[in-house]
Amino acid sequence: MSVIKIFEGREGHISQKAGSDPLPLSCSNESLAGAVSQRACVYSGARVVLNPLTDALHLVHGPIGCASYTWDIRGSSTSGPDLYKNSFSTDMTELDIIFGGEKKLAGAIQELAARFHPPAIFVYSTCIVGIIGDDLKSVCSKAAAELGLPVIPVCSEGFRGNKNEGYKAACNALFELIGMEEYRPSSPYTINLLGEYNVAGDLWAIKPLFEEMGIEVVATFTGDGRVAEIQRSHTARLNLVQCSGSMTYLAKKMEERYGIPYQRISFFGLGDMAAALRCAARFFQDEGMLAKAEEIIERETARVMPEIVHYRTRIKGKRAAIYMGGAAKAVSLVRAFEELGMEVVIIGTQTGDRDDYRKISCMVRDGTVIVDDANPLELRELLAVQKADLLVAGVKERFLAYKLGIAFCDFNHDRTTSFEGYDGLVNFARELDVSLNSPVWKLPLHRSSPLEITEFENAIQKTGERGTGQCLRAIPQ
Amino acid sequence: MSESYSTINPCNMCMPMGSVLAFRGIEGCMPLFHGSQGCATYMRLYLAHHFREPVDIASSALSEKGTVYGGSANLKMGLKNLITGYSPRAIGVATTCLAETIGDDIVQIIKEFRAEEESSLPIIPVSTPSYSASHEEGYARALQAIVQTLARRTEPGSRTNLIIGSVVSPADVRYLKDMLTDWGFANEFILLPDISETLDAPRVENPPRITEGGTPLEDVVDTANSCRTLTVGGQFQSNSAGEYLEREFGVPQTALPLPIGLKDTDLFVSMLEDLIGIALPGKYEAQRGRLLDTLADVHKYLAGVRVAVYGDSDIALGLTRFLCEAGAIPAVVATGSSSTRFEAEIRAVSEDARILLGADFSQIHDQIRKARIDLMLGTSNGRQISRKEGIPLVRVGLPNHDRVGAARQLLIGYEGAAMLADAITNALLDENSRRTDRQ
Repeated sequence: MSVIKIFEGREGHISQKAGSDPLPLSCSNESLAGAVSQRACVYSGARVVLNPLTDALHLVHGPIGCASYTWDIRGSSTSGPDLYKNSFSTDMTELDIIFGGEKKLAGAIQELAARFHPPAIFVYSTCIVGIIGDDLKSVCSKAAAELGLPVIPVCSEGFRGNKNEGYKAACNALFELIGMEEYRPSSPYTINLLGEYNVAGDLWAIKPLFEEMGIEVVATFTGDGRVAEIQRSHTARLNLVQCSGSMTYLAKKMEERYGIPYQRISFFGLGDMAAALRCAARFFQDEGMLAKAEEIIERETARVMPEIVHYRTRIKGKRAAIYMGGAAKAVSLVRAFEELGMEVVIIGTQTGDRDDYRKISCMVRDGTVIVDDANPLELRELLAVQKADLLVAGVKERFLAYKLGIAFCDFNHDRTTSFEGYDGLVNFARELDVSLNSPVWKLPLHRSSPLEITEFENAIQKTGERGTGQCLRAIPQ
Repeated sequence: MSESYSTINPCNMCMPMGSVLAFRGIEGCMPLFHGSQGCATYMRLYLAHHFREPVDIASSALSEKGTVYGGSANLKMGLKNLITGYSPRAIGVATTCLAETIGDDIVQIIKEFRAEEESSLPIIPVSTPSYSASHEEGYARALQAIVQTLARRTEPGSRTNLIIGSVVSPADVRYLKDMLTDWGFANEFILLPDISETLDAPRVENPPRITEGGTPLEDVVDTANSCRTLTVGGQFQSNSAGEYLEREFGVPQTALPLPIGLKDTDLFVSMLEDLIGIALPGKYEAQRGRLLDTLADVHKYLAGVRVAVYGDSDIALGLTRFLCEAGAIPAVVATGSSSTRFEAEIRAVSEDARILLGADFSQIHDQIRKARIDLMLGTSNGRQISRKEGIPLVRVGLPNHDRVGAARQLLIGYEGAAMLADAITNALLDENSRRTDRQ
């Protein structure tokens, strides 16, 4: 059954849940040309994963645009270095396309290394680099030998797939760093956080909780990250993977090479947050730590509950639409909306896979629409058909929602409010309340004009012979 | 300056982005990028953030297969779906680095598409690889492509083409339209392109899929029949719609700078007066008087204030001239594109300015440090420098990603100049009071 129909060939990507069987949704294929997909490219995927490494130098080998559009756009915060807030580019021009850009790239690496002394350099390839055939690997390895620091090629030619391919490219690049540094952790209980990008300082609400449990976070991939932390991350005993779309690949590689098991968790929502803390405590099989986790969960939940309850009463029963880049966040959002008493009527992602959609399909209620790789026209129709009151998505979708008079919450990587952890959910609930209950949605789209003939006047005009123009315009008592 | 291999924090965007701003100024016109999906998405994000409007840009979504075997099938499919989804009145197809490097001939592909689909829909091809030039040139190329594809000589007419040769704000375009309307001669002009409604749309019930507004297609076709063209801005680009119309159809062109500040607005208004033969409406004379009054009011605040101006070349030039009129000092003037003519124009009004061509923000930062700058005037991309150096920044131009109102920011005309004088002065006063508070 198709809920809406706009483009030929998109039918299988949109489905409405009915009954208990999980929906088979078409996904993981190329975006439909001309449909204005919300997806980005391989380079974009690689860039968003790696860029939060604060002290690394991120050099884009390509024409200027790719660097322009990724300069300081991610809301990942830093507690120290800010080299990552710069956008470095080889700014390839026509001559570089004709004669090759290797010399320029080698020069750029030398020049930037001398000026900024970074602990590592990532070199991103863009579409044309893949076409003209610059040998990034050899340029990088030569530079690495000369400079004595990791210079890592990121194979992120834009056309080679979607963001998922970019995540992989980023994971491969990170993997090259891991294990480069010896390290003796201060605690016997050590973890890495994977797929935590410290957007709006999210990490800073999470890390202290683990530390309180006696756990040392060796490295965060990659929020507020440092190259050295990544290099010694092989010394952790457990990987907690949040954004599974971007980081499961790396977690698997680390398990294979270093024997570090991984668990999927989420820090968003009260239930997921508690589950994440318990998950770590259970892994280490330490009674004291388990008790501590329960203590933290109880304490923190009690602390924020009054505020959550306050907001819940104000947003209860409203209908939410979710459109996320990755599926992990979308899944977490479904649970959070449940905690807040809201109903999810649309859920979609840019890059979810078959397993993701099966999972989502089992979680949501009958009648919920699930959509893969949506576009503005579909979103628009779905928001109307499903009578959504609110859309949770990113900047591109924000203004679409507003134009349609629908509340909006930015849950993308350029948001400025922290949503993770206990206070994060309060922030999230507050933002939902602020947008859902804003007076701006109640302002009349039409001004009632004294010149317009109202229904009341129409009635008079039909029945009354004394209905002169003058008397019609009199304000009815 | 020594030859550098790298660019640090770019001061320009790429060509396809400029093309969008031209295409969205044509009624019912949808832009489509022939390239990988990311280009469209990045630029949608960038523009949506600036205008605070939904900006739909389609993509042929070239994948590995299309890259190896050619992107013809993708582009045709993209056009087909775009037509189904949006029912556009025209489509602007801009190439990207990828499409250019694999050597796709979009003119030919479009020709085939129109034959295969028996479609008479105007489709405007423009070549805009990022590696050739900046968004400013992309805008100029797209404008030229628009007239090149659509303009047709039929009956000689009496109208004047008013071509906006540089990227300005929707508010700026509205100002020009209002001026012509107030003059009573709006129908005698073809304003091209017109983003006044398309990129600053009102909230209405059931918004259309493609925002209303833009230069009517019939008018674009008719530009070949006009008796003259007046182009404002775009003076540093190698492509020009006005020059094309002159070359191809003999429509004589006069090129003027963007009407920023008093004298350049005078120049523009006098030119219009000459064309129309009727004096500038009193309303605008009053605005001119108020601008003079404003400049008198603020002249002591602005006297000797050392300003760093950066951004698109035409706007940077206009701002530089305006600062001189107001008694401030354009100490650093920078633009991301490279034009020796730009340098000469700046030099003509300011002997001492440090001029940066093809600049990035690392170079701009260096010069700002050396030049003892009091105020920065340019895009929001200067925000890091502003914060680091504690120098107030007045945001002008694209992008403005961290303040609201970019679509409604009026820069041109007497009114725009007066508002800018206010904004600059207030930024300095704010900074002053912050400093006083700290003491």
